[in-house]
Amino acid sequence: MNDNREFIEEFLVESGENLDQLDRDLIALEERPDDPQRLASIFRTVHTIKGNSGFFGFSKLGALTHSGEHLLGRLRDGKLRLNDRVTGTLYSMVDAVRSIIQAIEETGVEGEQDFRELSQTLAAVALEDVGEPTAAPAPAVMPVAPPPTEMPVIPSPAVPVAVIPPPMTGVAAVAAVPAAPSPPAAPPGKPAAQATDSSIRVDVGLLASILDLVGELVLARNELRSIESTDPTLEGVIHRINTVTNSLQEAAVKTRMQPIEHVFNKFPRTVRDVAVACGREVQLVIDGADTELDRTLIESIRDPLTHLVRNAVDHGIEPPAMREAAGKPRTGRLLLRAFHESGQVTIEVQDDGAGIPVEAVRAKAVARGLIDAAAAAVLPDERVLQFIFEPGFSTAAQVTSVSGRGVGMDVVKTNIEGIGGTVDLSSRPGLGTTVRVRVPLTLAIIPALVVRCATERFALPQAAVGELVSLRADGGPRIEGLAGADVIRVRGRLVPVVFLDEFLGLRPTTAARENGTVVLVRVDDHEFGIVVDGTQTGGPSGDPSTPRATHAVTSMEAASLSTIVVKPIGSLLAQMGIYSGATVLGDGGVVLILDLRGILRAKDLPPQPRRGDEAVATAICVTDSYLVCRTIAGRRIAVPVDTVVRLEKFDGQELQAVGGKRLVRRGDLFTPVVDADMLLGTQAAQEDTGSVSLVVLDGRCGGIGIAVRQILDVAAADSMLQPSIAAPGVAGTFAIGGIATELLDLAALVPTAGSHS
Amino acid sequence: MIPSTMPGQPHDTRYCCFVVGSDCFAVASIGVAEVLRDGKITRVPHAPEAVIGLIHLRGRIVPVIDMRRRLGLPAAPPSISGTHLVLGLLDDWYSLLVDEMLEVIEVADHDIEQPSRAAPESAHDAVTGVYADAGRLVHFLDPQRIVQSLARQREPFLNRQGASHGGI
Repeated sequence: MNDNREFIEEFLVESGENLDQLDRDLIALEERPDDPQRLASIFRTVHTIKGNSGFFGFSKLGALTHSGEHLLGRLRDGKLRLNDRVTGTLYSMVDAVRSIIQAIEETGVEGEQDFRELSQTLAAVALEDVGEPTAAPAPAVMPVAPPPTEMPVIPSPAVPVAVIPPPMTGVAAVAAVPAAPSPPAAPPGKPAAQATDSSIRVDVGLLASILDLVGELVLARNELRSIESTDPTLEGVIHRINTVTNSLQEAAVKTRMQPIEHVFNKFPRTVRDVAVACGREVQLVIDGADTELDRTLIESIRDPLTHLVRNAVDHGIEPPAMREAAGKPRTGRLLLRAFHESGQVTIEVQDDGAGIPVEAVRAKAVARGLIDAAAAAVLPDERVLQFIFEPGFSTAAQVTSVSGRGVGMDVVKTNIEGIGGTVDLSSRPGLGTTVRVRVPLTLAIIPALVVRCATERFALPQAAVGELVSLRADGGPRIEGLAGADVIRVRGRLVPVVFLDEFLGLRPTTAARENGTVVLVRVDDHEFGIVVDGTQTGGPSGDPSTPRATHAVTSMEAASLSTIVVKPIGSLLAQMGIYSGATVLGDGGVVLILDLRGILRAKDLPPQPRRGDEAVATAICVTDSYLVCRTIAGRRIAVPVDTVVRLEKFDGQELQAVGGKRLVRRGDLFTPVVDADMLLGTQAAQEDTGSVSLVVLDGRCGGIGIAVRQILDVAAADSMLQPSIAAPGVAGTFAIGGIATELLDLAALVPTAGSHS
Repeated sequence: MIPSTMPGQPHDTRYCCFVVGSDCFAVASIGVAEVLRDGKITRVPHAPEAVIGLIHLRGRIVPVIDMRRRLGLPAAPPSISGTHLVLGLLDDWYSLLVDEMLEVIEVADHDIEQPSRAAPESAHDAVTGVYADAGRLVHFLDPQRIVQSLARQREPFLNRQGASHGGI
């Protein structure tokens, strides 16, 4: 037997592939029971496994596949018609073959399991249906039109059917994959012959070491390029080596890529099984199965996606009767779509089911104490849905009658975020739910921005970088706010910033406040700025072949964008959570890659929702980030950050009184000023001449400036808003930084401000 | 892949000896990937104190553990340039920056005695045994324990930065 080891391994690998093919073919056959080519393909596959098992002396496997082949032969000859019982038995056979193959793989022998009963069932099923009158013309020659969707259920004789799932009305069907060449179009004679001829199996470790070596070669190439020479022959050689190295690197990277098909392939069977078990009718549509991503990522997304797919069938799509009652087609539609989008792979799992009952989620969130009832009542639906990602949010029987829709969604989110991806979910009642998973193409080679800070250099994943802003002391962009609440204003938004030198302890106080560069990054819901000394310029390190150097960030020098090879830094340093790896630049220097999510966690920056055109009232509810100020009279108030246009400091004497209104002038611009204390109904000292800060609100709030004594912080609220009772100008009270803070009622302010303008 | 060191194997085991401060230490040579005279060190802000940075070694990024700092000794005088003793531990490589490499010795397991009090106190958690060799004591170190002790020591970085704002 040992002599055969190599052949047996080949047989096992091949059989695994054959079994996957069988799953796909059977599902397709269920949809079109009279497809002779599909039936022939199934027959051939089973026959191959049978032949091989005979050759290696696997008798159980031989006996089982023999019975299966017999059953398939009757189907092929039109002696038997496909029904739920037949397909159920065939699926059982595939599963049994799979378990034997697995046993052989693990132990070298077929194992103790007894499949004789299943063989008998296969034989018994094969003998059914002989009396069917329409069986005379073989369906292979004359397909029945229209294809019957509901096969007549034949009363089964008294044969033990323990292994067969009970006949279900559920039919899982797979529509043709539009992007991939559809198997039925292939000539029936040669199944997948070309594929086997043009590909070989290569050890993954070997591919990894090739990639490492190519990385070394790239470094050597970069050094070579930096040699100054006037010798035309040498120049020519360097140029050729340069070109070849680029192509080689590209090709080496491609060897890591696999089509997402490798994950999607399993889903027709998953959907079919879950649909049958839950009594659903589901049509699975797969789009973009040829989308490629790194094979290590393929493994990482397999489980989360499987979970999402199962969830969609189990909890998303309603039972057929309920769908009909709701005026929808009986058969639910599950769309699985993958595509490349701005350097990432997006995978959508979309069902046309009942959607997630938002009110139930809202109630659950309150019941679990995640949010208080008053705040929950005003939270927009899309935000309520995010509670589904809370750990253990729904374990069973809470959201729907079957079980919680949110089962394990926190695990999905954790897994996807673990590989640098994101998950978001949207749902419309009665219309269905879409879960969108975004993952990077690869974790191994990424475009990155290299920045300088003090004496060090750091790399930032370019996918997160939005833009660069150069700070200028002379009236250009600058850091505003006071210590502890540094922000930069970007097109009307206030974005919190982190001084990298301070954060990393490279300098006791930052040296970049006046003339550094702010790298604006976006991580999940957060946008923040990282203040660095500058981006790296010149030198041989910039990789001119960077594919996306030109369009991504227009304001930065292309030289500072590099394609870097991400290398692990060892568990000791990875645990710190602020570096995701390191890389070696063209000049041979080692550079740490910043983990932006880690910086976000360490600094605990508040989320910044994307700016929309919501009414002021919604802005108050939606925002998570508040500007905290002290009024002149000493009250602690908060203003939603996304209503703030800018912060100014001015002297009390700069105020000009015009027609009973107070204005402050900045160039040609007059801003109406309202004292925060006046809004709150407290009396402020009118003759105050000390320095005053002005919080200028945007047009939705009348563009007015609110005068306060001091800007304290930009932070998220720690507690829910307690609506205020009869306190003028105050929308409510909550805790920020552990201290009770009043939220300014901007909605009440707007009419007041309007009268000013 | 370089297998991690396996203390307690039967028969003679080869050990690489080195000096840190005034003491002589050794690690099993089977775990040693490379010995480097020098390498440009990139510092890692906020890393555990003994981790003075990273070096690049044949495509790998290797954290450097300064053994003087690990053992609580003063920094090496300029006359000592230091040598990187690069070890493979499971999937990671680490470099121990030592004062000077000595010879490789072969020691039978039964000749190794229980850790002695003569070892520097700061090394006690990593010393697995001691061996008297030509008038000097050689303390055997388990590199895995050195790394683990650093992982425990690392600064509570996330707790130190800023107050927590819960939010929803």
